[in-house]
Amino acid sequence: MTLALIGVNHKTAPIELRERIAISREDLPEATRALAAVPGVTECMIVSTCNRVELLAAVESPDADLTGFLYRHFGLDPVLLGPHIYEYRDQDAVRHLFRVAASLDSMVVGEPQILGQVKEAFAVARASGAVAGQLEHLLQSAFAAAKKVRSETEIGSSSVSIASVAVDLARKIFGSLQGRTVFLVGAGKMSELAARHLVQQGAGAILVSNRTQERARRMAEEFQGRVIPFEQLYEAASEADIVISSTGAPHPIFRPEHGQAFLHRRRNRPMFFIDIAVPRDVDPAMGKLEGIFVYDIDDLQAVAAAHMAERSRVASDAETLIAGEVERFHQRQRTVDVAPAIVALQRQAEEIRQAELRRVQARLGSLSAEQVAAVEALTRGLVNKFLHPPMQALKQAAREGNQARMDALCDAWQVSAGSGREAEPEGAPVEAGPTSSEAEKAESATVSEARVESRR
Amino acid sequence: MYLLWLRVAAILYAAASVAVFPAVLYGLVRWRKICVHLAGLALFFHFVSAVEMLVQAHRWMPVGVREVESLLGFAVAGLFFLVWWLYDAISLGIFALPATFFLVFVPALGPDRYTFPSEGVRVSWLVAHIAALLLAYVALGFSLLASILYLVQERRLKSKPKAGQDSWWAPLDWLPPLDTLERIAHATLEFGFPCMTVGLVIGSVLAQETPLGASYFLDPKIIASFAMWVVYVTLLLVRRSAGLRGRRAAYLSGAVFIVMLAVLAANVFSQVHRYGPR
Repeated sequence: MTLALIGVNHKTAPIELRERIAISREDLPEATRALAAVPGVTECMIVSTCNRVELLAAVESPDADLTGFLYRHFGLDPVLLGPHIYEYRDQDAVRHLFRVAASLDSMVVGEPQILGQVKEAFAVARASGAVAGQLEHLLQSAFAAAKKVRSETEIGSSSVSIASVAVDLARKIFGSLQGRTVFLVGAGKMSELAARHLVQQGAGAILVSNRTQERARRMAEEFQGRVIPFEQLYEAASEADIVISSTGAPHPIFRPEHGQAFLHRRRNRPMFFIDIAVPRDVDPAMGKLEGIFVYDIDDLQAVAAAHMAERSRVASDAETLIAGEVERFHQRQRTVDVAPAIVALQRQAEEIRQAELRRVQARLGSLSAEQVAAVEALTRGLVNKFLHPPMQALKQAAREGNQARMDALCDAWQVSAGSGREAEPEGAPVEAGPTSSEAEKAESATVSEARVESRR
Repeated sequence: MYLLWLRVAAILYAAASVAVFPAVLYGLVRWRKICVHLAGLALFFHFVSAVEMLVQAHRWMPVGVREVESLLGFAVAGLFFLVWWLYDAISLGIFALPATFFLVFVPALGPDRYTFPSEGVRVSWLVAHIAALLLAYVALGFSLLASILYLVQERRLKSKPKAGQDSWWAPLDWLPPLDTLERIAHATLEFGFPCMTVGLVIGSVLAQETPLGASYFLDPKIIASFAMWVVYVTLLLVRRSAGLRGRRAAYLSGAVFIVMLAVLAANVFSQVHRYGPR
């Protein structure tokens, strides 16, 4: 079984192309089922966001035509789409998926939405019946790795957009934004976005003032706020804790003398001015007053850039974490792969034990129930003790990915490493293979052992 | 046995003092929980130790320097927990927990070798006098600390980063919001004021009953104590009437704190509040 991942993302394809292959939430189940129907695909899922479309599949052979599916499904010319597609197999596919889930491959590194989007894609695939054991293990490991990156590094701790930087600064001044009054001076798009962020964080009353009354009214309605006539600007401003100013005035409309009056009326309660107008609406000298904080667009951008630089620095730690998680996943996978050989080994030993018991039964004569139980326990104990070293050696070789040693051990004990079926000696009667429940038990035992080791 | 509990408390305070740094500076939730649990356990053992010590001695008040230190430490830790509970501000623990540890460390070394010489300190009304003043000192200390942190946070928010400068935000990111610091500073001041007033009133009444009578009030420590109370009242009034906050409020808190240190230092000159061998 091979893992294959193909896709396009913001690094490899322009928006014009990405928007042509984006799959809407409604169409995702059908697209997933269509991918699952591709010959050779045993499990699959599709991640589709505004920045990427990726197909992840467990395939029986490397020939499964995922790229062809992409062309056919979207009706795109291979010449057009082909150069933008990337493809990863096995270990590389796992690493890529882990990086995507941990937001290391995102346009804004550390943004939190991508993990939710991958989880949603996985839920859709599961609901469509396109996911079974292999992808289940893989995705759960990817989610765990992403969570680890988020909790053990500071990759998502700082804001990188102008609006969220403004909200962060407001929080640093006021703590909770519950019940704070926000005054929008000028009804531009940017101030609307900042106000929306503040309202989402619990800001209370919204006041809107604009030279054009109609625009002010529209925005006030949107936020269930109050319109303030532009002539009453200075009276209303002292009510506000946060002032977002974005007028087209050629000169500053808020100057130090206004700031002093505001502070006097507010009994020195602090005010935060977010000045996103160019030319600036707030005289920088006002920021020198105690209790008044002024941030213009350049200041906000500088903070966002500083946070972005911080994220890039942290990303290298996250990459190291992901590399460790990928390696751990492969170790676990290899341990799971060796489960059939272990089952075969146990079954072979059990058959020998039973045969030997039958052989000596006549010589033992009639035994009481307790004596039979004692002989059973004795022989079973011996077999388990004898099997312990080769089983451990097999698991160790699997963990290390040492195929030659695994083959040598399987040869020595006459079991097959892959199929779980005993290597049949010539002329021996054909025995039934291990039952599926036996294999599952051995597999779950090795998986839980591997998990315990990974926790250590 | 009380010494054993006090030593356990000291060790737990030390561990909490270590845990508070990663909890605050790196915002690690796990360390935050560890810190709060350790400090909570320490406070519990500290309480057990204090009760056992006082019960064993058949009295309800400290009579030695180490006992007073230990109770002062208890008040600091208690107020830290109160602030944490009310404002979810664990950051003050960076100062409060190590301070508590150092206050508890010496008493945990062994029993008091020096006790207050005066038999008067064994009068039960003095319990309230000493406890109220200790609480007032601790509250004043917290208020000053919150005011200083307010100044630092304000300065940080005013000094904006330049383009390409990327280390500006991170190092002091653990500081609580300005508004929280202001509320802590104000609330602890308001908490400390009745404590100080009650402490001084009880002290004055007790002083009247001594053979010294009114001349008791000429003692340097008593004069400094009343000066501290007057500055305290001024600070509260100005804060309340003018909405004073920020730099000027911090300076005024600092002034009260300096007077408080003067009150403590006045013990050296005091005829009635002297520590020393019995």
